[in-house]
Amino acid sequence: MASQSITFSTIRRLRHVTSALVGYLLVTPPLLVMIFLIFLPALQAVVRTLFVQAQGASAATLSLVNYTAFFGNPIARSNLWFTIWVTLVTVAILFVICFPLAIYLRFSSSWIANAVQVLSLFPLFVPGIILAFALIRFIGPHGTVDTILQLIGITRFTTPYLKPAGIIIGLVWEGIPFTVLVLTAGLRQVDNALIESARDVGASEWRVFRSILLPLVQRPAMIVFCLNVIGTFGAFTLPYLLGPAAPQMMGVYMQQTYGEYQDRAGAETQAVITFLFSAVVGILYVRTVTKQRAERR
Amino acid sequence: MKVLLSKLSLFSIVCTLLLAACVMPSANSGAAPAAGAAQPAAATSVINVYTDGDTNISDWFANIVKPAFEKKYPQYSVNFVTVRGVGEGTKTIADRALAAMKTNADPQAEVLDFDALGYPEMIEAGLWQKLDETNVPNAKDVVKAARTTEFSMAYRGSQVLIAYDSSKVPENEVPKTFADLITWIKAHPGQFAYCRPDKGGSGGNFVDRAIYEVTGKDPTIFKAGPVDPALVSKFDDAWALLRDIHPAIYDNGSYPAGNNPSLQLLANGSVSMISAWSDQSLQALSKGVLPDTVKLYQFTDLPMPGGYAPLSVPKNAKNMKGALDFVNFMLSQEMQISVLKDIGGFPAVEWATLPKDLQSQFTSVITNQVPTWPGGAWSAARDKGWYEKVATNIDPNSK
Repeated sequence: MASQSITFSTIRRLRHVTSALVGYLLVTPPLLVMIFLIFLPALQAVVRTLFVQAQGASAATLSLVNYTAFFGNPIARSNLWFTIWVTLVTVAILFVICFPLAIYLRFSSSWIANAVQVLSLFPLFVPGIILAFALIRFIGPHGTVDTILQLIGITRFTTPYLKPAGIIIGLVWEGIPFTVLVLTAGLRQVDNALIESARDVGASEWRVFRSILLPLVQRPAMIVFCLNVIGTFGAFTLPYLLGPAAPQMMGVYMQQTYGEYQDRAGAETQAVITFLFSAVVGILYVRTVTKQRAERR
Repeated sequence: MKVLLSKLSLFSIVCTLLLAACVMPSANSGAAPAAGAAQPAAATSVINVYTDGDTNISDWFANIVKPAFEKKYPQYSVNFVTVRGVGEGTKTIADRALAAMKTNADPQAEVLDFDALGYPEMIEAGLWQKLDETNVPNAKDVVKAARTTEFSMAYRGSQVLIAYDSSKVPENEVPKTFADLITWIKAHPGQFAYCRPDKGGSGGNFVDRAIYEVTGKDPTIFKAGPVDPALVSKFDDAWALLRDIHPAIYDNGSYPAGNNPSLQLLANGSVSMISAWSDQSLQALSKGVLPDTVKLYQFTDLPMPGGYAPLSVPKNAKNMKGALDFVNFMLSQEMQISVLKDIGGFPAVEWATLPKDLQSQFTSVITNQVPTWPGGAWSAARDKGWYEKVATNIDPNSK
């Protein structure tokens, strides 16, 4: 009896070890890719921006000169603030549009809801550059919107093309599918029984929303917030084609500093600052996700 | 639309694969006759021609140049390869030819749409065949300004000029000089646009022209290579000039992000005048993208800059005779007319060698002078200055 239980437990342990091994083997390739193509270059970039070889000096020394140059440059500062501003406004608008949409899709199963679902996912299949040119035609000067407004007698339309609003409109359009998808999925996890029992005891719709849906959807909302912020912060194509010449978003500014001004150190400093900003939001995201995992266990 | 696009991209992948497949076997077959050198090659000998030009150029090479050349020279067959977006384009092919020269291998390249001038190290290494009247007879017609190096042969050019809508700008109002244009822009706020100098040459060369304006209208003082700080410090006068017209540019100083977005603003009537590339404008006019009321003109005092696209032949090209015949053919009257008519480019040969009726038809784009901006570090200084002092949202005087 005793010996049998020992063999059982060894077999179980052996199985545990092999399954763990297989697990590690499976995560090795993506981990290696991450290390060599993302972490290592990122680390190198950080180090390179911090160690500067002064003119005539034999070795590089630790210096913040790249960063003081960035924050001492009014254009760089204005571009950074502009990027943060566009990001926050875009994400806020995304929530305002997508939250009601997600609630509607969660509770309705009519054919209209299905159509809305398909429509809200449509931007997922449109490449950014096509969207940019479509928007130029639509909201641009003498575009569709302008023409329609003129027909009904409104002639004071000023186009958002080449203005900050142009970027925001484009990015909101592009961000809708992902936001709706994650919020709807989060809302679907809320048990119907919970809502029904609340209604049974006389809770109003508003009460259901405030006391049940809102607390339970916090986590998916946090995930959407983080990923949208990171995505918007690093946007390139739409700000490039729809935005103004000044101020510029960081993605466009970086490309210009590197490709046009041929200022490698400057572009790298901008990249590190962008990376740090995204990393702060990234930590928020990782914490949200790991907390969820820990609770499920 | 989407389906069409995905089909197109699939098609282009298939084409690339086919191209690759076409190139590969020739690599093997190319070596075979060399082994049995006594035996002459097959009935037709292959000329490998590479371009990394935009679609208008590669389409033209494939659909017009190749058939015309093979018809005239049946002893050759052209293997035309587009390397746009592949590595560094024709520079990569030039690197390959240089490597082949060191190992005495066949570079698999006869003619490259490539300017040898930009890479002195390749010239020093002796990679390029000298091209002149002795081996390319038609070179005698090529305009002097286009012959910037003896190792490349210009075959087409383009230049930035002013495109305007004649239904909105009466003939007598059209500015004839750069100074006139500045006056016109200020008198007609919101009616002129040029694109950001780093996003398209039509904007870049407009800014270059502003720099010429404040530095004595002498393009020759800008020499390729490192910038001259004394000259760059004079750019400030150009920034003052352009900042002065900034509020009068389209939509209170909005600058489109490229050559095509500029043309779009003119096409839909948002502005009545822009700076534009000659070839893109002529092509847009012939396709009806620009309304036929759009006309082109060039300044009479000093034109805006532009440039010539040249062909280069590696010295170790296996089919040297074919390569030289091809370059010569590109300078023939037939092809030079095609440059003008089919791709809206400038001929590289003197206008006087072309038929009279063409000269009058394209009179608006004919100039005897094509200033060339040196690019490189000069462009970097220009773009940085422009973004900091002209298009900026920050008052340049504040810190």
